[in-house]
Amino acid sequence: MTSFRLGIKPTRRAAGRFVSKARKKLQQAAIRGAQKGISQSDVARIIGVHRSLISRELNGEANLSLSRFAEIAQALGGEAEIDIRFPEDEKGRNIPAEPAMTTTVSTSWAKPVVFSTSEGRPLVDALPAAWVKA
Amino acid sequence: MSTLKELEEARALTRFDPELRARELPERRIYMLPRAVGWAEEKLPALQSVWQIDETPAEQLDAILAEFCAGEPLAAGEDFKCLHPIEDGIWELKTADLRVFGWFYRKETFIWSAACLTDVVKDSDLYFGFVKQAARDRDLLDLDPPKFVPGENPNDVVSAWY
Repeated sequence: MTSFRLGIKPTRRAAGRFVSKARKKLQQAAIRGAQKGISQSDVARIIGVHRSLISRELNGEANLSLSRFAEIAQALGGEAEIDIRFPEDEKGRNIPAEPAMTTTVSTSWAKPVVFSTSEGRPLVDALPAAWVKA
Repeated sequence: MSTLKELEEARALTRFDPELRARELPERRIYMLPRAVGWAEEKLPALQSVWQIDETPAEQLDAILAEFCAGEPLAAGEDFKCLHPIEDGIWELKTADLRVFGWFYRKETFIWSAACLTDVVKDSDLYFGFVKQAARDRDLLDLDPPKFVPGENPNDVVSAWY
């Protein structure tokens, strides 16, 4: 049996997945903000940009910079955090996902670099808690 | 009638390998029709983002398929959804630049029929064509019945929708 891999360069794969997860965290924060009465228009006004830009950034139709990530988090009443995780620091790692017997496109495996909190939790998992300020 | 495994062995389906990280476990599966494999090999690498964002369509697709296979939520509230029902049990996975069409054979098991740039789908009004094509693929594929999960409720096709 064969399996198929997209064959993305590991560094670009890491970048794409990181940005996608970061964007989804902002989407979740935006929903939470809306529940608190903070709209995307409010976020745009606080930051000082047009609402359509915030909408495009949240929907993946515009680049999302780390700077804007922090700005949106702040405007929603939260605080962005960031760190880097190294595999050798992880405890209780799972075994690798089910290996492919053969592949139509092969790529070399690279050690993942994951942004995480100082407690070792992935950044994307830790952000919601960070947004709840005392 | 055949199982997924038998169709894999017959090369009628190809399992998608999302290359999850070591601490991620596959919770959803994607199988590709030969058309989807051909598109991903021949067309996808050359596609550029119409939004001119840093992530290419291929990188966008890699991210969403990895999140899908890792069992991550596919929606945030009503405003942000990357999985959407179209009609007749055909669903689309969405990125900023791409639409992936297919159906759910079982909960958490997606059969990828075709994909296309979002702009092309919209500008050329190809939604209907892709839906019909996927439905025809589904009819022709010799899968054990039932051949798909009917309806438009995301909770019927994936866990952890939100």
